[in-house]
Amino acid sequence: MRAAERLKDVLGADKVITDPLIVNLYSREPSGLSSRAGAVVFPESSKDVSKIVSFAYKHNIKVFPQGSTTSLSGSSLPAEEGIVISFERMNRILSVSVVDSTVDVEAGVRLGDLNVELARYGYMFPIDPGSVAVATVGGAINGGSGGLRGARYGTMTNWVLGLKVVLPDESGTELRVGCRTTKCRQGYDLVRLIVGSEGTLALVTEATLKITPMPEAVVTALAFFPELEDLYAAYKEIKESRVQPLILEFMDEETARLAKEASAAPVEVEGHMLLAAVDCNREALDRVEAWLSELMRRHNAKRVYTAVKPEESEKLFTLRRSLFPAQVFFGNKRYPGKRLMVILEDIAVPPSRLLEAIKKIREVSEKHGLQVSIGGHVGDGNLHPSVAFPLDDEVMKSKAVAWHEEVAKIAVELGGTVSAEHGIGTLKKGLLEAELEKLGSRKALELMRGIKRVFDPKGILNPGKVV
Amino acid sequence: MKYAVSEARRCVLCGFCEPVCPTLYPGGHRGHGPRGRVQLILLLEGSSSRLVEEALYTCLLCGACTQVCPAKIDVAGAVREARAFLRSKLSS
Repeated sequence: MRAAERLKDVLGADKVITDPLIVNLYSREPSGLSSRAGAVVFPESSKDVSKIVSFAYKHNIKVFPQGSTTSLSGSSLPAEEGIVISFERMNRILSVSVVDSTVDVEAGVRLGDLNVELARYGYMFPIDPGSVAVATVGGAINGGSGGLRGARYGTMTNWVLGLKVVLPDESGTELRVGCRTTKCRQGYDLVRLIVGSEGTLALVTEATLKITPMPEAVVTALAFFPELEDLYAAYKEIKESRVQPLILEFMDEETARLAKEASAAPVEVEGHMLLAAVDCNREALDRVEAWLSELMRRHNAKRVYTAVKPEESEKLFTLRRSLFPAQVFFGNKRYPGKRLMVILEDIAVPPSRLLEAIKKIREVSEKHGLQVSIGGHVGDGNLHPSVAFPLDDEVMKSKAVAWHEEVAKIAVELGGTVSAEHGIGTLKKGLLEAELEKLGSRKALELMRGIKRVFDPKGILNPGKVV
Repeated sequence: MKYAVSEARRCVLCGFCEPVCPTLYPGGHRGHGPRGRVQLILLLEGSSSRLVEEALYTCLLCGACTQVCPAKIDVAGAVREARAFLRSKLSS
């Protein structure tokens, strides 16, 4: 790519790689999707990003921003010829203010590293996607990420106060939007427009994020229910008990058994899993623990484990944290030596419709003869059913794609959405259209395309994604 | 390369290995981390380059990545075999 060679003069040779073998590393994501870029550039500041974008604008080069490429919807891959901007060298935590409850970071800071730093102050950044150890702030902002604690803390939308962005125009304009305060009425809310836009509107280079104190004490309860209906009754009672749990997680029995096999979880799996974590003050620990334990047993849980010490709680989380490893483990066991594609759904339904959703997903999976793992952040109605199959198995692939579309349809029919926290990318563009169609809101797509044109008139920023 | 390739093929690119890798950040690109190295191993029989060799020879073989890998891929073992392959290509 000749333009990439010229970019070395603009940026410095050490910030541009054109070796196709290295570039290839930035052209694949965990879903199994892959593509091809011409070069990878590694900005070390907002100024660098501005120079890259200005150059790309003048030469009509498409630009694809990347954090750690843990997207599962194709949103971080080059959809056509162009350059990848990797933010991995912009990984500085710029400042922490406990009084303001804010942290300023560059886009390439990993969420896991951010939490290690914040723990020194007794604080945390509460958005914790399954990929929290490796995911970056910029990736989480672009993806509008959520996580295990979504029912309590929401998604990135709720935790970004301000952004520094670079616009895809002739001069690569650097812009600050939003405030350093929770209350902020700065005209139209450009911050929340950019959060979740999957890098299609502007390039996020820095962010001012809200932070929150780590809970004083947490009770964790892990229970197994032979019957789904009993599990749902326990879940419903927790939701109706005037507490707002930190975490409510679900795995169906088959998935929990796989997770147990794939991990060293010190628990016996005897049914579908419900994991609840409730924070309280230290004095209330015993009362909350007894309440959760009694509630689970009253709803016919066969086994109930509780913990109040962090190291004991962590053991109860082992099974849930093994959801993705279990999917990989299972895939490798079933298809030894094969490269796998994992389709991980990301639907959300109103929590009152969860039981119906799980049952319908199981029916659809059975209809297609697919072995499907079902788990999710049920506290906010978010489910991640998944299926793994060999990349070269076309029959399995067509079954999985049909399954994927039917599961999305179930979500929409139950009043939910096709994408809760993973984004639209390339994989769910059709599903997004179907969802808006169902709502009678096709016009929303036109509005979105109009917004894209205003921000990015030449269409050089992460083209082919979202709309 | 049989062992190295069969290990590398099990990678699903989740990247969970990267935060524990001591060479990723100093290296300056993804090839200096475990996720990158196993992908490079898959391409090694077809072609190589100076950057690829650098990436494979800067691995400390510490095995930290295997501890956190969901598939428990033996990255250090795969890298050892890849280095032997590169050496044999040089001497042939």
